[in-house]
Amino acid sequence: MPFDQALRFASIWLAATSFIGLTLGAGLPGWLAALTGAALIVAFLRNGGSKSVEQFAMAPPISTAGWNLLVIAGFLGFWIDMLWVSDELLPAGIHFLMVLMIVKLFNLKIRRDYLHLYAISLVAILTSGSLTTDLWYLPIFSLYLFAGVWTLLLFQLTKHTEETGTLTPSAPMRAPLHQSAGHVTPQLFWLANGLALLTFSLTLAIFFAIPRVSAGFYQKGFGENIRTSGFSETVNLGEIGPIKRDPSVVMRVELSDGARREAGRLYLRGVAFDQYDGKTWTNRMNYRRTVSEDGTGSFVLRGSRSPAQTPLGETIRQNIILEPLDTPVLFAAPFIETVSGKFPSVQSDPTGAVYLPFPSSSRIEYSVLSRSTPVLPADLSPEPGRYPESFTRHFLQTPVQSERITVLAKDITQTQRTAYEKANAIQSFLIHNFRYSLDAPLAELDHPLEEFLFSRKTGYCEHYATAMVMLLRTVGIPARLVTGFLATEWNEYGNYYVVRQQDAHAWVEVHLPYSGWITMDPTPPSIENAPDVYPAWHALGRIMDTVRLQWSRFFVQYSAADQLAVVRELKAGSTSARNKAFDSMSALFSPVLAMFGGITKYAATGTIRPLVEVLAILLIGIALLLWLGIKRPWVKGMVGKRMTRNEEVIAQLYGRMVQHLAGEGIPKRTTTGPLEFVHLAQAKWNDANSAVASITELYCRTRFGHIPLTQEELSLAEDHLRHLMALDKP
Amino acid sequence: MNSTDIIQAIKENIARVIKGKPHVIEMSLVALLARGHLLLEDVPGVGKTTLAHSLARSLDCSFKRIQFTSDLLPSDIVGVSIFNRQKQAFEFMPGPIFANIVLADEINRTTPKTQSSLLEAMSEAQISFDNKTYPLNQPFMVIATQNPAEYHGTFPLPESQLDRFLMRLRIGYPSPEEEKKVLDRPQSLHPAEELQPLLTAQDVLLLQEQVDHVLMEESITDYLLAIVQSTRQSDLLALGVSTRGALALSRAAKALSLVRGRTYCLPDDIKELAPIVLSHRIMVARAQGLRPRSFEQAERIIQDLVDTIPVPV
Repeated sequence: MPFDQALRFASIWLAATSFIGLTLGAGLPGWLAALTGAALIVAFLRNGGSKSVEQFAMAPPISTAGWNLLVIAGFLGFWIDMLWVSDELLPAGIHFLMVLMIVKLFNLKIRRDYLHLYAISLVAILTSGSLTTDLWYLPIFSLYLFAGVWTLLLFQLTKHTEETGTLTPSAPMRAPLHQSAGHVTPQLFWLANGLALLTFSLTLAIFFAIPRVSAGFYQKGFGENIRTSGFSETVNLGEIGPIKRDPSVVMRVELSDGARREAGRLYLRGVAFDQYDGKTWTNRMNYRRTVSEDGTGSFVLRGSRSPAQTPLGETIRQNIILEPLDTPVLFAAPFIETVSGKFPSVQSDPTGAVYLPFPSSSRIEYSVLSRSTPVLPADLSPEPGRYPESFTRHFLQTPVQSERITVLAKDITQTQRTAYEKANAIQSFLIHNFRYSLDAPLAELDHPLEEFLFSRKTGYCEHYATAMVMLLRTVGIPARLVTGFLATEWNEYGNYYVVRQQDAHAWVEVHLPYSGWITMDPTPPSIENAPDVYPAWHALGRIMDTVRLQWSRFFVQYSAADQLAVVRELKAGSTSARNKAFDSMSALFSPVLAMFGGITKYAATGTIRPLVEVLAILLIGIALLLWLGIKRPWVKGMVGKRMTRNEEVIAQLYGRMVQHLAGEGIPKRTTTGPLEFVHLAQAKWNDANSAVASITELYCRTRFGHIPLTQEELSLAEDHLRHLMALDKP
Repeated sequence: MNSTDIIQAIKENIARVIKGKPHVIEMSLVALLARGHLLLEDVPGVGKTTLAHSLARSLDCSFKRIQFTSDLLPSDIVGVSIFNRQKQAFEFMPGPIFANIVLADEINRTTPKTQSSLLEAMSEAQISFDNKTYPLNQPFMVIATQNPAEYHGTFPLPESQLDRFLMRLRIGYPSPEEEKKVLDRPQSLHPAEELQPLLTAQDVLLLQEQVDHVLMEESITDYLLAIVQSTRQSDLLALGVSTRGALALSRAAKALSLVRGRTYCLPDDIKELAPIVLSHRIMVARAQGLRPRSFEQAERIIQDLVDTIPVPV
């Protein structure tokens, strides 16, 4: 079978499978299915060379203009369909698609037509895939895949022969090439089918093997999470220090308003600790309570904060993408009110920490609504507040420690009266009198706190925070140590905070009698992370990080739920588009209606925008039609390079003729002129002369004379070519 | 009658005299319509003069014949000033060059001085004499004949002057059957004398103008230039084709398209015309046993070069 015939078969096959897919997916009304099916059968028979169909095809009952009109009618029908008949975008679109397919099936002339047909059938098979989950889709899809491989192969093969136009006669290997060139040989047949099979099995393999756990099997971190410190139930003093140099990303935090915090930094609270034994912090209030979902996928935390809480604080809505960590803690800005995410359940403890039931082995995304605690005016007045008994038991505990700490604490706070002022005094004392350094091997010492406060006077966040908590507790103010992250690195390209291991931090929460827990941080800003000054390659890193985040969000984590969400949105969108179109239509016609109805009070205002919309939609439709392009009026105006459709058709006919003659032993050299070739062909094969001369004449006239062909001349050339193909060379 | 029919009629008219040489007739018409001049190069007695004569007779144009000899002077071509006794002044007597079609017979028999006086007229289409300029009649076409350069007593035309001719043609001997027809003809009258004029000078000018409107597609222009370029790069040639040569080929191709009844050029036109339009404009290298002034040699080299250039499709 010659290539071009095989290509037509494969293309029709492709269209047919997608059509069957659509029909089985119940996307088509009966009459349209019957019509399309009939068109497919006619196209199939015609290509197969059935005589009666050939007759029908040789005298096409519809001219090009007729086909154009049909497409326009189909387009109008699409609107009517969408607005009144099927009421939805998708079915109406499918119906229109089938009309286009019918038109294209009868107009398969140049290569662009084939491409259009492929596009149509691709959309059709995708749509049918979305319409069904039944088993029959598998065989249909595999058939489609086979046809697809065939068409790709043949399309490329015919492209090659048509571009060269001739078979180069110089090579001695021409003779064997002659036998096989332009025909589907058994080798090619098995090659194509083998390729299709391979593709299919590869697709299956990919389908089953691509991990759906949102992580790669061999990726760093799969099954082995990033090790963190400071978020288990006990934390040794100095444990955070070693990770302060690890730049691996722990999480990314987007804020709902998309803008960076004014202060430039964001505290992300993890766990709070209440008991300190001189070396180790322990969370004794670690009994976790399961928080129930409120029905919308959110978990609302109540009563986890002090009873003095007020709704006055500033709220922060964050969207957090957390890398797999070895801790189940969910981090967020203090203090968490609502957590939403795809979790089976969430637990919380009395200190306000939120946990997953177990550490996640994949990247998770959740959003949190937090509310910070402001300092109430009552706490600024000298009137001393009282603390409940549970507070004194938990948050005033101190280990056995030297008298010097007590003296120091009294010393710092003696001039202050309120708890808030005292806390502030301790904070500024620590900030101003101590030096920040990560090289502080205090952990091995027996009394690290005393060492920090009185002899070394250097340390890092943990030491500062521990010191502050202890000093506060010594003067009778309840306080606790909090571990978490301090986000400072802002990615301005993706508008989010990048939080790294090195951002791990410890700070202090102080309980004020009226306001409740407030956040204080005695650690001076470290010199090491100077913000906002970074070399240019850092910017590149940030852009890359943004891209990575989007990839993770839209590809790796793309799940069935997301798919559903898209479908839902599309559906809503189409309904709204339909409503909009309907509104605009009625707005457009309402002056007329108003006139008929005798309603005089119609105000012309407000009709302009819908009118513009309707016009825009119409324009888009027309542009689409022109692109589908049965005729492109602007091409005529252009001189030279661009060819009109008829020109393309005749050029292809000529190419096929030359190819056919080459197959019959009359090759056209590249240096042979068209008329010369006619003489050559005449000398070798006189019977073919009239066809060859006529096609050559028409070709030369359009190609070199730029004289447009009429439809009759074109069909004459087609007849000649068919006649030539049917001739037997003596 | 449209141009195609007219041209066909002229072709048939001349063919009544020049038997069996349709190609030569067609090419001489091409030269006429392309506003070019024709150089016929062949042995004596094959109908060079008759061709020129019958072409002139078919058109209602004036025809002059100049027999070039070694003692011919420029004034014999251009004209002379004679003292008029009545007017007491010199008066210019136009020479035979003041005709529409001039047959310069055996042009290589005369001295270079006389040759150049003719060639000046060919390129300028005017004559300067005694500080006065006299425009020549339009259309103006020179048909020169020459015997091949091997013959003794000739002054070969230099390449720069050969360049002025649009094409160089060979007539060749007729086939025996055609030759028999020539012999069977009554001898009393010169055969060209019985031809009827079909076109006026004005019609010829109109046809020449139509040639300018023939379309040469861009790819064909590129093809033409590729051929010209190849002559400049060929090892076999000491001198390639000039820009005037490229222009001549383009004009000739357009004229041939019109003669063949088309309004656009085909690659075939270029291919066919290249040997006869370009072969006298090149110099064959004195190497590899090639004879530098051989007509056949030059044509074959051009033909071979053309056969290496891919035709636009």
